[in-house]
Amino acid sequence: MSASNSGLCPCGSGLRAARCCALQAGAIPPAEATRHLIPLVERAIQAYQQGAKDVAERLCLDVLELAPDRPGALSVLYSIRKEQGKPAAAEALLRRLVHFEPNNFEATNEIALMLLGKGALGEAEIHARNAIRIAPQAPQAHNLMGMIMTEAQRPRLGEYHYRQVLAIAGTRDPIVLANLAWCLKNQGRMEEARALYEESTATAPDIRETLLGWARLEEADRNFAAAAEKLDKLDALFPNDPGSVLTRAILLGRMKRPDDALALLDRQAPTTEDGAHAAVPGAAMASAPIGLGPTELSEKGRLLDQLDRHDEAWAAFTEAKRLAREYTGNVYMDLLAGDLVNRLRGFFVSGRLALLPRAGVRTDVPQPIFVLGFPRSGTTLVEQTLSAHPAISAGDELPLINDITNIMPRMLNSPLQYPEALAELWMGDQRDGLDNLRDYYLQKAAQMEVAEAGAAWFTDKMPLNETHLGLIALLFPASPLIHVIRHPLDVMISALSNHFTHGFHCASALETAATHYVRVMDLVMHYRAEMALRYLPVRYDAMVTNQADTVRSILDFIGVPFDERCLSFHENRRYARTASYAQVTEPLYERSLNRYRHYRQHLEPVIPILAPMIERLGYTVD
Amino acid sequence: MVRGPMRADRKWLWVRSRDDPFPRDRRWVPRAARPPLSGAPPDVSLPFADLMALAGRLESEKDFAFADRLLDRALIAAPEQPDALHLSGIVAFRLGRREEALAKIERAIARGIDIRLYLRNISEVYRALGRFDDALNAALRASALAPDDPVCLHNLAVIQYHRLELDDCITSATKALTLNAFLPGPHFQLAEALLLRGEWERGWEEYQWRFDLPGNAPLMPPTTQPRWDGTPFDDGTLLLVADQGFGDVIQFSRYIPWAAERCPNIAVATASDMIPLLRQVYPAAQLFSEWRAAPAFKAFRALSGLPALHGTRPDHMVGSVPYLRADPVRAAAWKERLNRLTPTASRRIGIVWAGRPTHNNDRWRSARLADFAPLAALPGVALVSLQKGPTAAQAGQYFGAAPLVNIGAEIVDYEDTMAILASLDLLVTVDTSVGHVAGAMGVPAFILLARAPDWRWLLERTDTPWYPSVRLFRQSKTGQWSDVMAAAAAAV
Repeated sequence: MSASNSGLCPCGSGLRAARCCALQAGAIPPAEATRHLIPLVERAIQAYQQGAKDVAERLCLDVLELAPDRPGALSVLYSIRKEQGKPAAAEALLRRLVHFEPNNFEATNEIALMLLGKGALGEAEIHARNAIRIAPQAPQAHNLMGMIMTEAQRPRLGEYHYRQVLAIAGTRDPIVLANLAWCLKNQGRMEEARALYEESTATAPDIRETLLGWARLEEADRNFAAAAEKLDKLDALFPNDPGSVLTRAILLGRMKRPDDALALLDRQAPTTEDGAHAAVPGAAMASAPIGLGPTELSEKGRLLDQLDRHDEAWAAFTEAKRLAREYTGNVYMDLLAGDLVNRLRGFFVSGRLALLPRAGVRTDVPQPIFVLGFPRSGTTLVEQTLSAHPAISAGDELPLINDITNIMPRMLNSPLQYPEALAELWMGDQRDGLDNLRDYYLQKAAQMEVAEAGAAWFTDKMPLNETHLGLIALLFPASPLIHVIRHPLDVMISALSNHFTHGFHCASALETAATHYVRVMDLVMHYRAEMALRYLPVRYDAMVTNQADTVRSILDFIGVPFDERCLSFHENRRYARTASYAQVTEPLYERSLNRYRHYRQHLEPVIPILAPMIERLGYTVD
Repeated sequence: MVRGPMRADRKWLWVRSRDDPFPRDRRWVPRAARPPLSGAPPDVSLPFADLMALAGRLESEKDFAFADRLLDRALIAAPEQPDALHLSGIVAFRLGRREEALAKIERAIARGIDIRLYLRNISEVYRALGRFDDALNAALRASALAPDDPVCLHNLAVIQYHRLELDDCITSATKALTLNAFLPGPHFQLAEALLLRGEWERGWEEYQWRFDLPGNAPLMPPTTQPRWDGTPFDDGTLLLVADQGFGDVIQFSRYIPWAAERCPNIAVATASDMIPLLRQVYPAAQLFSEWRAAPAFKAFRALSGLPALHGTRPDHMVGSVPYLRADPVRAAAWKERLNRLTPTASRRIGIVWAGRPTHNNDRWRSARLADFAPLAALPGVALVSLQKGPTAAQAGQYFGAAPLVNIGAEIVDYEDTMAILASLDLLVTVDTSVGHVAGAMGVPAFILLARAPDWRWLLERTDTPWYPSVRLFRQSKTGQWSDVMAAAAAAV
């Protein structure tokens, strides 16, 4: 065998690669052949429990060299590597353990938590669902689903599982209560969330994550004094907690005290990642370098921007992006994105569309309004405006269109991927395939309880859903498609100053955000040239400078009567869950227009990429 | 080596490029054999005069790429030779390299051998580029240098028509005809000017010359039967040939019932797209779209030749409008679709911004979707694009305030177009066949006209004797749509 096979695995497990990440099925001996190793495994477990970790490690390595699938040895070695701060090795071992022992609840729980911590929510969900299959009566299995669904923007589903935890356990565990509170906060149910935090702190007053979550609830609900009070309490218990510092900086920013916020961040030397809700284990970065993390740096940039210190803001934003790439390893999936866009262009052409059926229009349930646009282009503003109307509910970012693109091959029984799988609609047994996909969407939306009583419409503002405009129009031929258009350079500023994963991680760098923007806009133009769509472009600038007429024209387009409340959307008490939640509670002001001018020279690298689109949209660069 | 007059292709006969209905029967059309030298330029060196003669022959046989390569070689040997520059300029023009064409012919004129030929041709290049002042000056100089050249006068007349200097146009064309009474070009130009001025009786006579224009495909396969002169008969079939573009067919189809009063057995040769429409106009007609399906006939006439026979004048029209209507089932289906796609409260305005790009005057009659901005800025309006063809993709690039539905992407045939028109409050279109459909249906329509419009729209008036529901909006300056669109938007 080659030299690399005798070398150690690059994951850092300490095993040879041939016994680790390069393991092949044929190298695994039958279980009976390695029976005699069981006492060694037992000794390893014993040694580990007694603290003799060197001995335990040596024993595990020996066992796994001979029997790479021995679960006990994998489990012990995983624990050791995790404690040693070797995440790549720990992950590899854990994945192998779950692979060989799919019914191991502990391991399944562990891997779900690890994936949740990494933000790999889709994969985490698979394991959480397995955990419930293995142990439907285990509170922790439901707790996993609660946490993952809450983070995956499906808080209604999360709430169900948290309530299952409480029912199964028969106790009101303060941490579960705090988790549930966070889930309710994400649904904008502030009062209920606050009551749960109160109940939770009554029995467990000193838990960091609870206090932090509560502070963020109060901040989001515009109770700035209450938020500060929770943070004071947190600081007394855990001085210099990075989560607390970040939350306080955000709070000071919203209180129009950007100088103080900035000073606070600058005082903070070593820090960790934001960790959204730190009740999520593993969310905090285990080994943060000295300095601010990506989230803190982005916040710092936004504060500097508020203070008109634009060059420093730019530096903070770029550094935040660099760190985020380093921490997450996420970069734009250029080939994948380009391939999908090309295939969509090739599939959705007028000749083929003339032969494809359209789903029927359901009149018995509320229908979606699609609010489309690049992330951070004003979709939250439009949703907040529309959902102030009694006939329209806010559905937020629904992952359902993406889900449908994934399940389509299975639903249509196709050997092909989306969009080519739509060719099954020509088969006699798939003629109603679009109706089934439509009903999948509507059923999931109903489960998420997106529509309030009496609403005829609900919004789905998943950014970049315009990538799937053709599919959406096949599924919902009567649904309004409202595309929020904004100066592409302003969109770039927003993409740079925030972290989001939409669009194949395009926002991990400025140039790739521009590339993806152009790809998607070209695709939108293609769809519109090939199909008759119920499509309305809405200018973000028109929303700001001519709000009344613009809102009126959108409501006309949807076909609902004008309602004054839509003009004072910032009084809409609904909590917008996305990054724009703070902006949409402010009246409109023109500061948000042409922000790019402050960053003109920094944007130089993307202007050639965006110039044709800027012109086509009728904007200029000055 | 002397080049003929450079004319853009004139009116289309009824054979359309997209789906040629007579592929088999066109074998009889005489075709020049391919030149023996094709492909790579000859390696043997040729005397310059022979090389130029070959290039000239290739140009006239439309082998422009080969001619281009030969002339490149000629210009390497003699970079300032005026004939080579001139011919190379013409070939560049044929290949769409207009600026290069202009530069080369201008250099040829500066060096001069056959300056009047160069001037005559450069005036056509200027005209194609929309530089009408330069075109006029060059044409005037050419005819001053060659007062006995009717082709120069003809070119001059064409330019004068585009400048809407109709008296001058008629004078130039008449002068050309005194030099040679049998040139179809000046006759046709005279016809267009007279018809545009409303002098239809004289105009119809001259209009007959359109069939003799060079480059026009013949009306039909050779026949020994006579052209119909209007004499009634009922012992045979009258064959009408639906010639020219679809707009002309729709416009002149109103004459079919008039002809049927004189000859009840009517057959119409037409492109298949038009069959459902013509069936409405005269259900008893035998309609066919391939010559092998043609019945025996006693006499024939082009559909566009019926107005002359009838003696139509602006105050003496035939038939009544509407003579086309939408199929009620299709109309209901499209109405439901439009109700889903556009806000029901808004006024639906259909738009068409461009005609068939191969139309000889397309450059001047067609606009861009962006030119419709004043319409898109109106409150309470929804735009419905009925645009077909290569420019339809502009619908994807529209981000104006009024919603726009690209229904054109779903239109299959003219019956769809009619069904959609029935659901619109108004159609705003440049001079295309859709305008004729709306007019023939009695649907309110604004037709936006180029500075020098087609003769059928006459001069100055805002209405048209052809279609009572149509209102005309005229360009004040060639190529400028902004004021026309603003006026149309104000009238909505």
